Amino acid sequence: MTVLRRLGTLLLAPALAVLIAVAISAAVMALLGVDPLQVLSVMVDLGDTPSQQITAVVAILNRALPLFLAGLAVAIGFRMSLFNIGVEGQYRMATIMAAAVGAAVTLPGPLHVLLIIVVAMAVGAIWAGIVAVLKVTRGVSEVISSIMLNFIALGLASYLLTGPFRGSPEGASTVSTAQIPESGRLGGLNGIFDVLGLANPPRQLYGFLLVAVLVGIVVWVLLQRTRFGFDLRATGLSPSAASASGVDARRMVVKAMLLSGAVAGLIGLPDLLGRTYDYNTDFTSGLGFLGIAVALLGRNNPGGIALAAILYAFLDRASVPLQAASLPSSVVTIIQGTIVLAVVVANEIAGRITRRAAERASRQSSGPPPDDSMTTRRVPGVVSEGTP
Amino acid sequence: MKAAALLLAGSMALAACASDEEPSSGSGGGGESSAASGDLQIGLAYDTGGRGDKSFNDSAYAGVEAAIGDLGGDVTELSPNADGSNRVDLLTQLADDGNNPVIAVGFAFADALAEVAPQYPDTEFAIVDQSVADMGLDNATGLLFAANEGSYLGGVAAALKSESGHIGFVGGVETTLIQEFEAGFVAGAQAAKPGIVIDRQYISAAGDFSGFADPARGKILAQGMFQSGADIVYHAAGGSGQGVFEAAAEAGGRAIGVDSDQYETVGDPALQAVIMTSVLKRVDVAIQTWITDYSEGSVEGGSDVVNDLESDGVGLSTSGGQIDDIKTQLDDYTQQIIAGDIEVPTAP
Amino acid sequence: MTESTPLAVELRGITKRFPGVVANSDIELRVARGEVHAIVGENGAGKSTLMKTLYGMHRPDEGQILVDGREVHLRSPNDAIAAGIGMVHQHFMLADNFTVLENIVLGSEPTKGGRLDRAAARRRITEISDSYSLGLQPDVLVEDLGVGDRQRVEIAKVLYRGARILILDEPTAVLVPQEVDELFGNLAELKREGLTVIFISHKLDEVRKVADSITVIRRGTTVGTADPATTTARQLAEMMVGAELPTPATRDSTVREAPVLRISHLTVPGGVGSRAVVDDVSMTVREGEVVGIAGVEGNGQSELIDAVLGLRLPAAGTVLLGEEEITDWSTRRRRERGVGFIPEDRHRQGMLLDAPLWENRILGHQTRPPAVKGAFIDRKAARTDTSRIMREYDVRAPGPNTPAVALSGGNQQKLIVGREMSASPRVLLAAHPTRGVDVGAQSVIWELLKDARAEGLGILLVSADLEELIGLSDTLHVMLRGKLVATVDPRQVTPEVLGGYMTGGHETSPAGVA
Repeated sequence: MTVLRRLGTLLLAPALAVLIAVAISAAVMALLGVDPLQVLSVMVDLGDTPSQQITAVVAILNRALPLFLAGLAVAIGFRMSLFNIGVEGQYRMATIMAAAVGAAVTLPGPLHVLLIIVVAMAVGAIWAGIVAVLKVTRGVSEVISSIMLNFIALGLASYLLTGPFRGSPEGASTVSTAQIPESGRLGGLNGIFDVLGLANPPRQLYGFLLVAVLVGIVVWVLLQRTRFGFDLRATGLSPSAASASGVDARRMVVKAMLLSGAVAGLIGLPDLLGRTYDYNTDFTSGLGFLGIAVALLGRNNPGGIALAAILYAFLDRASVPLQAASLPSSVVTIIQGTIVLAVVVANEIAGRITRRAAERASRQSSGPPPDDSMTTRRVPGVVSEGTP
Repeated sequence: MKAAALLLAGSMALAACASDEEPSSGSGGGGESSAASGDLQIGLAYDTGGRGDKSFNDSAYAGVEAAIGDLGGDVTELSPNADGSNRVDLLTQLADDGNNPVIAVGFAFADALAEVAPQYPDTEFAIVDQSVADMGLDNATGLLFAANEGSYLGGVAAALKSESGHIGFVGGVETTLIQEFEAGFVAGAQAAKPGIVIDRQYISAAGDFSGFADPARGKILAQGMFQSGADIVYHAAGGSGQGVFEAAAEAGGRAIGVDSDQYETVGDPALQAVIMTSVLKRVDVAIQTWITDYSEGSVEGGSDVVNDLESDGVGLSTSGGQIDDIKTQLDDYTQQIIAGDIEVPTAP
Repeated sequence: MTESTPLAVELRGITKRFPGVVANSDIELRVARGEVHAIVGENGAGKSTLMKTLYGMHRPDEGQILVDGREVHLRSPNDAIAAGIGMVHQHFMLADNFTVLENIVLGSEPTKGGRLDRAAARRRITEISDSYSLGLQPDVLVEDLGVGDRQRVEIAKVLYRGARILILDEPTAVLVPQEVDELFGNLAELKREGLTVIFISHKLDEVRKVADSITVIRRGTTVGTADPATTTARQLAEMMVGAELPTPATRDSTVREAPVLRISHLTVPGGVGSRAVVDDVSMTVREGEVVGIAGVEGNGQSELIDAVLGLRLPAAGTVLLGEEEITDWSTRRRRERGVGFIPEDRHRQGMLLDAPLWENRILGHQTRPPAVKGAFIDRKAARTDTSRIMREYDVRAPGPNTPAVALSGGNQQKLIVGREMSASPRVLLAAHPTRGVDVGAQSVIWELLKDARAEGLGILLVSADLEELIGLSDTLHVMLRGKLVATVDPRQVTPEVLGGYMTGGHETSPAGVA
């Protein structure tokens, strides 16, 4: 199969999904009396001045960043048919612990940031590890236990925030942890706009982008190119075949959940290290659940997840200018919702198409090989060939 | 409901289009001059939930609408996404589009305001429920409310109307903001009827915002109070107040609403009957007043405006007429607070 | 063919296309009334498609169907039943927790005042049972019945609906030899009563035993008819594949001294409270030896294989690979050290159906070259080696990137065999290595196993195909309820004797051939 065709089959499902979603959304918009073309033109209009356009791009990338990490965390579980719904709780626990540790110590710049990242990954992994241990030792469904742990994480984070980790003054309307000192923050990447000769708006592109790209590459290599990734995927495709091939299914559950949790621990860091510098009552929530949609849309492939996160962020950004243009911003939610639905449908359709194509191809090639001398001989005598 | 909102949005779209066609002088940042000519372009950024929440956001819109009625002009309204992660984008968009003034509804906009306001020095910002005194912005105003004063009158009304000499307070989340409500309520009740019994409870601890949206637990707390002899319960618990009303209806007691005139908004005749009054937080009045000041050029940035009884920023609602008989006493207390004869505490 | 009495079933030029394939083309079939007519062909030759057409499960694109000389248009199985055609499926469709009576009437219950008329139902069923000697007990729960009895219930169900023409799809696949004989006795009864039976099979000896005439299907079309009295099984098979055939029989003994696998007193516990599924089993497999395990399925063979592979923990006993004790080893370590595995259910344990062939090449060999380098997968080498396996083991597929699901069962199995052989195992656990594969692939696999054996591989062979077991094995054990109950010499034993041991009868059953 040529590279082009493989790429084609890879992109078939997402492209179908986006098309279906756009068609449904356009129909809904038409029903509501909104002109879909006008909506589209507002969505793709990033602004008038170069500064506005760059700001819009930065807003999209900054939003896509945590979505990408969340999608990645969910996808690692999905790869072996583990439904890690607990990403939400994992990143909450990870973020508050990382914020507290980051504010409590002072270290030289890079080390300080590294420590915060390590703490976040460790806490996320531990929180996810509870799910794995429960599943492996007690057979508790990871769906149930991770949902429960989400609630526990919410309560625990709230207790820690208002109790031991409280850093905001009495009477402040937003309760927060203490601020991470300068050495523990990640500066923006807006310097590259100057290098590229583009406008440099005040909005900062999160420095965590570099970390996320690195994590994305590492996860990609791990999943696609290593034995571990193979074992993971094999377990997802067929647990019985995987264990017969020598994969220890229980150990695999633990490894996959730890990895998923570690990546989940990073979700809150773009905001924490690049903007808020503390965990507070208003810290962005729900990213873990959006990650499920992003992972689905990206077909559990890091590259696909990156594109899906950017698409999601692009749609999110559009909700503001849509409102400003007095168009219902709910079309964004409709498109996002229908995309996820469409992905499920399109994956199925694309799977069938590729399967059928492959079956056809193999049927054609399973004809007699040219050098097979046995096929043409006939048995003489007793047998009457053909119908009389 | 949805259809009506959509219709409204549609008509507003038409209005916006119409105004776009006029040559607008106030788009480049000449906010002051456009304000002076009465051609207001008001930007309004809602808290999560957006328009149609029958509370905070709707009240803010009512204020803007009233101001436009007096002064003319248009409003652009934006709502944040579900997780509130794009608040900065809202303010940026409003300022970029040449709206001036820009009003942010809710203290959650504090960080976003601190980031955006310095980028648009010619735009005047206001933020509801958040002090800007320490933020170092000279183009932003904090619109605060003396919730303790309104609650004081609520306490007076409860004490005067209580037959058992036993009343209650249900708070949503135990934050400083809600503690102010409690402090005023308790002080008012004790002033009107010394020795009165007051049960006080909160639904959730600080940091856990579920207490504002948990009618079931609100109901349980209120039921406990009614069973132990209370006959009037005041709630400062947002959406959880519904449960308090239900408990009151079942126990044959009465309740006091909060923020908006809940007698009008509760929508259920059975519950309406138990809502004796509501402690109003007149976000609409505060915003209307501030816009008027702005149009007159009398807004000075970097400071807070406290809306109290004197400015009609807080008060009691009278819908249903259940507190008409104690009007004179209430007016008397109001005058004493305005005159400074009564000092209402802010913390319990 | 006499034209005076119309044929029971006649198909003229039946063609059925599915998107991209022609499953049946120009099928001609003539079945006389009151005969047992066998349809034979390899797996995938189009037998099932043809029978579905005849049973109204789909409509042919071209051609005519004549029943009793009149053309019929079958739009659904109901139409087929109305035309007197009934089908007994290979996989029984019975409700376990219903009685025989309830199962038979299910779907066409006689009612009296809106309630099931049990008396009427019982009368009819007894009538059917008596006239065809089915020996049914109407009030027994189906879950208490053996496989043969269940099959008779299925037959009775079809007769109850008034069928005069019965289609039996691979009816002997699930039966032991004694039960097969009983079935043939039943078929004789049906024939005597004037019913017509269409019998689908690929077991040629049975076909020759029971059928009055045979139609052979190859690659979707009828290639000819044969008279069972004058045609040998071998000739039939060659007609099916259009080629001459090898036999499973091994040539000379290649058994050497050194044991490669020694199992001593191995006991594997069953579920809570149940008896052991493998009970104190001891055996030795030497280099160059094929040790066969015969047994009715579900008597512990699968569990024995699982335990040797490390998928099940034994309660007692030891397993030695060469001189090393491997009882506590992980599955991966066992496989790394030379345990090859051909699973009984390749879809469950042998393949990742949705993954490409080259990934399936890696499966089970994740820690070994050539497909793996250290912690990384060597995709290029994996693809290259997959191509080699495809070439050397005659796996017919477009290429290493084809998903495994697209391959026929035989080609999947050849890939598995090729993969396992490529790792040069010391001992191969082969469970039903030719199950569900066509005759062509079967002979290839037999040849491969024989070659490997000659080179010194020890093979533990579990199979339900007694001919395969007898033909390939050097030593043959019989497993019954988890125990090894007999060891027989494969050169001496007949399938009937073996069947006796397998069912615990210890003797040959009376030949009940029709």
